[in-house]
Amino acid sequence: MTERTAAREALGLPLLFLTVALLGGFRLLPGDGGAMRFAPPPLVGLVLAVVLMGAMVRARLLVPDALIGSSRSGLASVNGGVVLLTLLAATAQVLSGLSPEAGLMRMAYYFVLVVLVWNTLAAAPDRPRLLHSLFVILGAALVFKHVILSALFDAEGGIVKRVLLAVLEGASLGSVETERLHDATGYVAFGNVLLYLLGLALLPTAGPSFGMVTARAVGEDLAAARAATPVD
Amino acid sequence: MKDAAIRGAGLVLTALYAAFITWVYASQPRTVAQLTGGMAASVGAYQVDRDSFNQGLQFFRNDQFVEARAALGRADPARQDPTTQFYIAYSYYRQGWGRMYSDDALFAKGLESVDHAISIAPGHRLDVPDPALQMRTADELRAELSRGLTKDATDFDPRRFLRERK
Repeated sequence: MTERTAAREALGLPLLFLTVALLGGFRLLPGDGGAMRFAPPPLVGLVLAVVLMGAMVRARLLVPDALIGSSRSGLASVNGGVVLLTLLAATAQVLSGLSPEAGLMRMAYYFVLVVLVWNTLAAAPDRPRLLHSLFVILGAALVFKHVILSALFDAEGGIVKRVLLAVLEGASLGSVETERLHDATGYVAFGNVLLYLLGLALLPTAGPSFGMVTARAVGEDLAAARAATPVD
Repeated sequence: MKDAAIRGAGLVLTALYAAFITWVYASQPRTVAQLTGGMAASVGAYQVDRDSFNQGLQFFRNDQFVEARAALGRADPARQDPTTQFYIAYSYYRQGWGRMYSDDALFAKGLESVDHAISIAPGHRLDVPDPALQMRTADELRAELSRGLTKDATDFDPRRFLRERK
């Protein structure tokens, strides 16, 4: 059991969160050349990641005592610290990976995200509810960027673009700009969000619990009680 | 004991993986070939394709610059060989050079290529001992490309028409 816990804390979670951090910045540019780039998280993404981790601590989704604490050995605490650091990097990158690439849309994305995280903090959800909330927030951001925005800025104009423009009754995008990405970036982002949520679900819930039991011989007490009990 | 071994191995693996990710973000490879080539170069295992390089050099000497860049790009797909990148930059210079004016777009690409060649050269110094070239160091080539992109009073000097391509 302890070996499985050690493997999860020392290998599974850090490598999973680092993979999320790596793929969160991955962008495949349109065209057959397959040019790619890796975008580091913006400062606002890092700040938002810290706030979101605060919400995780309040919801007991992230239990710092279960990762770093006096009840753990030094090496185990170092592993726990690494899990926290990699979780911070993964959170920042997953948020930045789902943001529009530039312009007004990007600003609007971070504004809405700040409001949502703030609202989540105020609601003080428990662990399952926060996981559910994150699933909805990240899923919505993924659909917004890789389905709606991607369709709106598609030069060829697919059915999604025609439907959206029909619903918006001919509204023009005007000077609103964003960078076009290859469709494969959306699939990578989808897998990355699932990996991130899997990592969150695998976070240890609490430290090992101990119960104190004391034993006392009760033979004499029983004998006295039997002697005092009248026999019919 | 086994628990400590797993935790220690995890730390080492995590540190290596984090170093790899930091390298990827710092070096910004644009293709998978650049990613794998960069990793090979970091352990000294990267080699250019000699046949393509020689073919590119032949095209370069025949003033077939587009063909030369295609062959040199094939020789060094990861853009990790400073000499190959130097010739690519030189090809942009020679193609963009004109007695009356130079092609800014080609010179800008040449400047980008020579900057990249300097950045990957050991000690950021690059000498190419090719007797057929008048500029044999990346610094000379860089200065010439920068001069070509600069707009100043010397652009109107009639002696410009007497200069020769290097």
